[in-house]
Amino acid sequence: MSSENKQETRPDMIACENVDKWFGDFQALKGVTATIAEQEVVVVLGPSGSGKSTWIRCINRLEAHQRGTIVVDGVELTNDLRNIEKIRSEVGMVFQQFNLFPHLTVLDNVTLAPKWVRKMPKADAEIKAKELLEMVGIPEQASKFPGQLSGGQQQRVAIARALAMEPKIMLFDEPTSALDPEMIKEVLDVMKDLALGGMTMMVVTHEMGFAREVADRIIFMESGEIVEVGTPEHFFTDPTEDRTKLFLSQIL
Amino acid sequence: MNEIELSNPAKLPETPKRSIGEWVKSNLFSNIPNTVLTIVFGFLALYSIKGLLGFILSGERRWAAVATNMRLLMAQGYPANQFIRVWFTLGCLMVLTGISLAIWRSNGVLKIKRIGTWVLNLGLGAAIFASLAPVSANARGGWLIATAVLLLLGYFLKIGSDKSMLPDDVPTVWFSFGCLAVLVLSLWTVPYGHYAFTDGELIAESGRTVAMSTKLPFTVMLLLLIGAFMLAEVARGLVHIPKAKIVLSSLWLLSPFVLNWIVLRDPDFDYGRVFSTDIPIGLLFIGFGFLVLYPLTNPSIGEKGRLVAIALLMFAAFNWIAAFFGLYPMLQKVRISFLLLALAALLAPNFAADNRTRLRFISFWAGFIIVLHWLITAINSPSTLDLQGPTYLGGFSLTLFVAVLTLLLSFPLGVLLALGRTSSMPIARVLCTVYIESVRGVPLITILFFFSNILPLFLPAGMEIAELAAIVTGYTLFSAAYLAENVRGGLQSVMRGQYEAADAIGLTTSQRTGFIVIPQALRVSIPPLVGQAIGVFKETSLVAIVGAFDILRIAAYVVPAQTEFLGVKREGLLLISVIYFAVAFSMSKYSQKLEERVGLGER
Repeated sequence: MSSENKQETRPDMIACENVDKWFGDFQALKGVTATIAEQEVVVVLGPSGSGKSTWIRCINRLEAHQRGTIVVDGVELTNDLRNIEKIRSEVGMVFQQFNLFPHLTVLDNVTLAPKWVRKMPKADAEIKAKELLEMVGIPEQASKFPGQLSGGQQQRVAIARALAMEPKIMLFDEPTSALDPEMIKEVLDVMKDLALGGMTMMVVTHEMGFAREVADRIIFMESGEIVEVGTPEHFFTDPTEDRTKLFLSQIL
Repeated sequence: MNEIELSNPAKLPETPKRSIGEWVKSNLFSNIPNTVLTIVFGFLALYSIKGLLGFILSGERRWAAVATNMRLLMAQGYPANQFIRVWFTLGCLMVLTGISLAIWRSNGVLKIKRIGTWVLNLGLGAAIFASLAPVSANARGGWLIATAVLLLLGYFLKIGSDKSMLPDDVPTVWFSFGCLAVLVLSLWTVPYGHYAFTDGELIAESGRTVAMSTKLPFTVMLLLLIGAFMLAEVARGLVHIPKAKIVLSSLWLLSPFVLNWIVLRDPDFDYGRVFSTDIPIGLLFIGFGFLVLYPLTNPSIGEKGRLVAIALLMFAAFNWIAAFFGLYPMLQKVRISFLLLALAALLAPNFAADNRTRLRFISFWAGFIIVLHWLITAINSPSTLDLQGPTYLGGFSLTLFVAVLTLLLSFPLGVLLALGRTSSMPIARVLCTVYIESVRGVPLITILFFFSNILPLFLPAGMEIAELAAIVTGYTLFSAAYLAENVRGGLQSVMRGQYEAADAIGLTTSQRTGFIVIPQALRVSIPPLVGQAIGVFKETSLVAIVGAFDILRIAAYVVPAQTEFLGVKREGLLLISVIYFAVAFSMSKYSQKLEERVGLGER
């Protein structure tokens, strides 16, 4: 209820309109239209192959969409390299497989982009990195290499690395799917803190508990299109669409 | 022996110690095929060692041929009165090594137990020698005593450190210095024999210690090494270590060029021309650099700057084409500098930042121009040396020269080619692919012939440097194509997620390539790259084809042609096999160390 108001009063951070995307002959996204407001947390749910990951990867241009418009923080995503670089420095992304740089220490992983993209002096970047590692709860691992950390720790470093660029938006592409069950909570806790801190977040996940507790809105996708949008309450207790009901009956 | 160290040994059940007998039983005689293999191989090994020792120690061998010609094998016809330059070169390298050891490796330690194992192995070697070598009864007795001493010493070292009579470990550096000191000391005391060729007169006296012209320089080298190390150890606390590392690395990179062309070649500078032409041209290019690079590194100019760079590049290319058709005369140095300026301008937008960084980029350019122009001037000046052969280098020094320069130059070229071949730009991809495939389809000898005939056309006439330049260019272009394929293998092993992560945090394509992709690709390519380096080192012997005298040619054709040693060939060939093996094996060992250090396979 309050989230509906939130959406109306705050400006849009992400606005997608009729986004189409093909992989060869296969259409992965079919006319996806949605907006995400500042400080809003949106969880995208859906069966595998429904286009959730493709969509989120289109938002920072890891994949290029072929039709429709995507506007991120007022900048439209086109083939113009400058726009892409501008958007990427304002959008942080966390991957399913962490994708930390294995040849760099945790500290170097976190400071690399601030130093070279933001041109931040090394000392400042390191102070900032240490604060972030403190925030995600692993300040003592700064000088280790990613390979020496557990999966949960690696994913928290990945979150710190994305936050080091001081992004306006954070994208999470199944951040807990590659983790052992006992490590999922530590990553979700960090994400929860982030949401409470007012970060604009778009999260693709299968963690229903997280969706119910943290999301302002849930977007349900199937076969490349958005089937249903609503508050968690509405979505989990009283879904409108049959396809949503079927999905929920399979997972709950 | 197992030397595994764990942080928490209490949890690990202790591995029971096995006696040597048990080890032999479980590893060499565990089943019937293994037993047969052990026995057959054991006999084969003993038989070959016996044969080899018989060959080396046979009365027919004339080792004097090798000992006497050592200078020829190492430096060919380098003028005897200028030989101090060779030692000066070695001395510079020793000082650099000493300082580098102090800066990079001063805290390495070696377990005494490990040294004990080595001494035991030496003892075993001595035992085999004593029992198989065809020597007199007296000498055999001496070797048996040596065996006993070594075995006892090795046993003492192992037991002593176990029972804490000895310290656990010694600093690696000092242990190595100690070994070298023992070797150098033996030059002064042990009668290895005095052999020399002075003024065409042969000296071969077997009862004396080696010639003063050998033992004195080697002693000085060792003292330089140790002295530099100790001084640098003291200075360690006073200098900023990362900066010192950068300075040292650049000195190492510069040393082959400076030592070869300035020290060994001793250019006879024409100072009138240096002041009237060379220095003004150098200053002009430093000025050009400032005029072009300072505006281009301005962040507000951005990508538009590349257009200026491309215009410059086209002008530089036009200069080269004009040179090819002999359209208008211009110093080669000016052409090269223009091309490099254009390339620097192309890179400049990547270094766009605050004023300090911009000025640093330009001062880097200025330093580069100074070094480059100095080298070109030195190379173009005639040498003061009174040379006997076609080049001032020959023998082992030629081998090293070609190998080191080829590796230094072909490495960056190979990486660039690999990047070009995997790039998304079609023209770069096609050009690099065509280059790599055509070079790989041509034998090295053909390329060497081609360059020794073609390259001199581009260089001033009558320069003895042309021969070497042609050889190194040919090797470099050849080896770069193979290196590129090895690096490409590494590039393919970098996962897609790494590219995506680098993109997602906003790195530009060149930053992504430099910080993320190349380091990981090279890490994976270490084994094939070292294999390639060893290949280059061994293939240097092909320089004989184009008329140069490397160590192999001297041993195989020059020494056996001397009237004193007519037909004495096997001794030299055996010696150079040992030298080649020693260098190649150390490279291989070093690559294993490097792999461990960068944690290959721990991912």
